[in-house]
Amino acid sequence: MTILVWERPVRLIHWTIFIAVIVLAVTGFYIGNPILVSGGAPTDFLMGTYRAIHVAAAWVFGVAVVARLIWAFIGNRYSRWDQFVPVSRARRADIKTSFKYYLFMQRETPPGPGHNPLAGLTYLVLYAMFAVQIWTGLALASLADPGSFLWSVSGWTFSLVPIPTIRFVHHLILWLTLGFIVHHVYSATLIDVEERSGVLSSIVTGWKRIRPGQAGQAE
Amino acid sequence: MATLLERLEANGISRRSFLTYCASLTTMLALPASLTPQIANALSKVDKPSIIWREFQDCAGNTESFLRSRNPGVADLILDLLSVDYHETIMAAAGRQAEAASDAAAKKGGYILVVEGSVPLKDDGVYCTIAGKTAKQHLEELSKGAAAIVNVGTCSSYGGIPAANPNPTGAVGVPSLVSNVPIVNLPGCPANADNITATFVHYLTFGSLPARDQLGRPLFAYGERIHDSCERRAHFDAGQFALAFGDEGHRKGWCLYKLGCKGPNTFNNCPAIRWNGGTSWPVGAGHGCVGCSEPEFWDAMGPLYQHLPNVSGFGVEATADQFGVALVGATALAFAAHGVAKYAQHRITAEPAAQPVAAGQPTEED
Ligand code: SF4
Repeated sequence: MTILVWERPVRLIHWTIFIAVIVLAVTGFYIGNPILVSGGAPTDFLMGTYRAIHVAAAWVFGVAVVARLIWAFIGNRYSRWDQFVPVSRARRADIKTSFKYYLFMQRETPPGPGHNPLAGLTYLVLYAMFAVQIWTGLALASLADPGSFLWSVSGWTFSLVPIPTIRFVHHLILWLTLGFIVHHVYSATLIDVEERSGVLSSIVTGWKRIRPGQAGQAE
Repeated sequence: MATLLERLEANGISRRSFLTYCASLTTMLALPASLTPQIANALSKVDKPSIIWREFQDCAGNTESFLRSRNPGVADLILDLLSVDYHETIMAAAGRQAEAASDAAAKKGGYILVVEGSVPLKDDGVYCTIAGKTAKQHLEELSKGAAAIVNVGTCSSYGGIPAANPNPTGAVGVPSLVSNVPIVNLPGCPANADNITATFVHYLTFGSLPARDQLGRPLFAYGERIHDSCERRAHFDAGQFALAFGDEGHRKGWCLYKLGCKGPNTFNNCPAIRWNGGTSWPVGAGHGCVGCSEPEFWDAMGPLYQHLPNVSGFGVEATADQFGVALVGATALAFAAHGVAKYAQHRITAEPAAQPVAAGQPTEED
């Protein structure tokens, strides 16, 4: 039996974030270490172009992240905030089950057609990273104009932490995000192979095949 | 007492060059040109305010910088407007006599306290002791009667080089010790003499410190990043970078970003007013900005010839990118190994009997 797990907005946001992250990574690496150096043509505008794309993609990314946070309160049960913040005792107990699966102590995959509680927790960490990334990004962008609205909102960051340290954090979170992508693709593939539930295709179609035992959890 | 104008004339400086100087100060302070006469007027009438210039954990670099003001003829006389009652490097008095001068000025109150150098706090502040008192004691006593405190240089503003890791003396800047006196920070290693002079002129003209930012720096001098007023900025935007000192890009005056320029991290007006009487400035001379006027200079700005700080720990030091590649690579390897192990687990162990999963199932929600 198949059920609709990921609603259309969730899938749309997922792929928007994915594309934005790739664009942000490519342009971000260039800004941090410009490997392409202009030959000197007077019309060249390499860094300017990369920075413009980076800022544009950053706004798309930021809006997508905020949209997902809003959806966590209006979406279906699989996209709700309590899938990420383990408030119920049952979900906390399932974290252990999930750990057992990943640590080879149990063969059966973690429960539920939605995010397993351990995965939910990693998305919580990911979104915390995103929050820091968006904040440091806004603050760094505001440096160019200390008279701006952006500066009045985020400029105080630099009274607490020196500018190069903020750049450093912004750069490390990019690497951590790439590390997350590796983990994310691997885990989804693993679970798909194990469960034959179509997890991988579900982020395109929205539908997942569920085991008979899980049927009770369908809508 | 002769007025400033009389003294200017006695020194062979015309009223015209005095006005020119006032006009340049008006521009520096980012004030409308119409205020020039007011500044000139105020300066020519000013009555000598007392200055106590204290050096704590410093190298006297700001004093050296200050003594080389842009326009020696007029600037010297402006400085002459200030009654510098205590300044170790330039005063004639020594020993008890010097301390007596400081005490007398302090008793009168209403002076400008200029601080150069950081204040050590460790071991009861013994690392900087002058005339039997620690820097901290001097600061506490002198800040009481001060009308304003002017911190010249990064050390007195934020702790500076003495406060760099491992900060053996427990050095801090003045703002972390004093809070009830108006403070202006003029960070820089050293602070630019023109910014120091302009700050005094503002005080003499308007009787108050210039408008400051969140870090206590006057906006007229620190209102913009080096990077945003740098003459090489067009090369930055174009993607034209010097890759090594002396290479073609370097000789063509391209951007020094890839040589570790910290201009994007530094608020200061070096590109606009330059140094040593407007002769040149670090980036103009072909070396990247080192960010000397920012908080936590030196630690936060290192390594000097790299854009980003390094990752260190466990005796290893790597660039942020080496660390990142290792991190992503290790993650990929770990998951590959996990996949192989999962496969092996399925091959070795039998089909699952009743699993504890069932217990976890109904808990999916609520
Ligand atoms: S030389 Fe430094 S301050 Fe100037 S544009 Fe390049 S990075 Fe910015």
